[in-house]
Amino acid sequence: MTVHIDENLVQDDEGAVRCRHCDAVLGVAQQPLRDARVRESDPRTAGPSVRADSGHFADRPVVLRQTFCPGCLTLLQSEIVPGDEPSGRTRSVVAR
Amino acid sequence: MPVIPVAGSEKFANAPTSPEETRRVVGDSVRLHDVDRSVVEALDPLTYEVVRHRLTSITEEMGEALKRMSGSVVVTDCNDFDAAIMDEVGDVVQVGLYNTELAASLDMAANWTLRNRCARPGIAPGDMFLCNDPWVGGGLHQNDTSLFAPLFVDGELFCWTGAVAHQVDLGGVSPGSWSVGATDVFWESLPTPPVKIVEGGEIRQDIEDVWLRRSRVPKLVALDLRAKIGANNVAHERLRALCEKYGADVVKAVMRRTMDDAEQRLRAKLREIPDGSWSSVAHQDSARSGDRGIYRIVLTLTKTDDRLVFDFTGTDPQVDGLINCTFAGLRGGIMPVLLTMVCGDIPWACGGIYRCIEIISEPGTINNCTFPAGIGKASVASGWATTNVATECLAGMLDTHPEHRKRLMSVCCGTWDFALLAGVDQRGGGFVTMLCDSMAGGLGARSDSDGVDTGGLACIPMGRVADVEMNEFAFPMLYLWRREEPDSGGPGRFRGGVGASSCFIPYDSPLGGVHLVVSAPGKALPLAGGLSGGLPAGTQHDVLVRDTDVHARFAAGRIPASLDELAGTTDLVPTHHETDLGAADVYYTHWQGGGGYGDPLRRDPAAVAADVAAHKVSPAGAGDVYGVVVDGGGAVDEDATTTRRAALRRSRAGLEAEEVTA
Repeated sequence: MTVHIDENLVQDDEGAVRCRHCDAVLGVAQQPLRDARVRESDPRTAGPSVRADSGHFADRPVVLRQTFCPGCLTLLQSEIVPGDEPSGRTRSVVAR
Repeated sequence: MPVIPVAGSEKFANAPTSPEETRRVVGDSVRLHDVDRSVVEALDPLTYEVVRHRLTSITEEMGEALKRMSGSVVVTDCNDFDAAIMDEVGDVVQVGLYNTELAASLDMAANWTLRNRCARPGIAPGDMFLCNDPWVGGGLHQNDTSLFAPLFVDGELFCWTGAVAHQVDLGGVSPGSWSVGATDVFWESLPTPPVKIVEGGEIRQDIEDVWLRRSRVPKLVALDLRAKIGANNVAHERLRALCEKYGADVVKAVMRRTMDDAEQRLRAKLREIPDGSWSSVAHQDSARSGDRGIYRIVLTLTKTDDRLVFDFTGTDPQVDGLINCTFAGLRGGIMPVLLTMVCGDIPWACGGIYRCIEIISEPGTINNCTFPAGIGKASVASGWATTNVATECLAGMLDTHPEHRKRLMSVCCGTWDFALLAGVDQRGGGFVTMLCDSMAGGLGARSDSDGVDTGGLACIPMGRVADVEMNEFAFPMLYLWRREEPDSGGPGRFRGGVGASSCFIPYDSPLGGVHLVVSAPGKALPLAGGLSGGLPAGTQHDVLVRDTDVHARFAAGRIPASLDELAGTTDLVPTHHETDLGAADVYYTHWQGGGGYGDPLRRDPAAVAADVAAHKVSPAGAGDVYGVVVDGGGAVDEDATTTRRAALRRSRAGLEAEEVTA
């Protein structure tokens, strides 16, 4: 059974996860963003909503980490997090 | 100094206890009312709905009673309180629509009281118990003081009612009990385990004296105590009338079925949703003043058939500071999300809803801390961060279902922007107040619509922000402005609701200035995450401008509309800070909006142009984040937008820069 994981991801009945916009394969059920493109940049590239440099307040580096569909470059996941910490955001859906 | 384990504190490390075990412990000390299952099954639908709705309205009446009797703006104008009706062992039958974080742990406090106070000093008609010990329950930090009361019918303990409200000061090193330098609980307000403060319908003066002696504003706290007594009295009056009309067994049967109904309907909803697991992480910057660390709460939510498991394995150990929360805070962080996002069409009977979930958490972590860790800020620190991870995971779960995804919401206003003022007011009396302006946080974006701008806080459905004029009337302050801030909502296909800012000066205090305590994380990194590619909301941003020319500008007939207009020395305010504000010092505080949903480059350009016209998004934000070019007349430049979006799509992914020229 096909499951829409979210706005951008769909999982087919064989467990492959694809981009809903361009059908590119992005991963599998256990690692839906395995083949996605990840880029880290300065948090202030997120736009004017990040009001000040993180270095004013914390010693650890902070990054904007974004994950993109390699096919159509749709933004699949965004987070502003400590740069020395792997992403803690995952999802895994069981197709029935 | 490291936290030193305290022998004997384990007595107060409360955990939910089953009704069977509770009855066993209570034994013959108190006769607990019960009803046969056959009465529950024989309930006719009409009686069930009439009585159930009456119970709901009683919690609303409790809230009204609280507001009418309290003298605290935090309660009367901002609704930072809640009320609940519980069954005879403390399971919550109906929770009010106010601060659901607070009420989510009332069951633990009532149940602990039943098990630990039933023999001595005993539990009898007309008694009420006060508690502000978050290890026991009844609130998330010491300021959340609960007052719960057993209702006896025909000599049996029929049920409990409870009211809980934020008290503006209960002692501790810093005003407001918000000791920003705290390394452990001994810097903070003394946690008070359940104590019988009302006996046989009369306030025990000795206990009240002990209670009020710790506060900087004892008269206000005394008034709040009476407001909570009044709320419980109103509830008891109504519940007695209900029992007289329908019979105690029928009313209890409705309570049982309400919880059963909540459980069964939640289970049915969960069965419609694909199984799976969703993980998220919530960060907090700074545990106390001078600390520059970043701490995390990790959640893996697993949904299997009709059950949810919230597993917090991987969460950081408790820290020296005021940001930890107890297990009651952890539960209080989860339940508001379940209620508002998953159970909007289900009775808010937490006693039934809790049956569908399991919590895995290691004692000694920042959202399940052990005594004597500092918890003065628990409700809006680790409790709130727990809400944030629960929001992301539950939203991810709902997103897999074509109908239920319409109920999801990104994280709302990543945390509480705490600013507390204390000193001498314009009438010459001492005052302490928590400024509740950030009650107007931005709500998270949904899967089909933008978040509500300054829509409030998801965990407090009936939360309100006090009028500027009310704050100026009650406290020695004068606003330069309070307004929505552009770009503060998380960008996305659907934009998070914008947050706002307040800017004010001390005004008309005989001392000239006031004392200021700040505890506002989200400055090093935003705390309201986005979903499905949507970006987080903006960061918290507080600025203090010393020795300004604001009074000269007033004299010239001008109210400054931006910090740039002011002379003076400008400083970014750290996450935790305590200082004095002088008469010419200007304080600016800008709280967070809600997270976005979906890729911002997929947002309708016309919606972006409308946002620019409404000052929800700046022209720079429109171009740099949404890739929308708006012409001088406010219309979308379609060709330039197409070019800009194509270039931005590549440049943000780190592809060749030469195409980024539009």
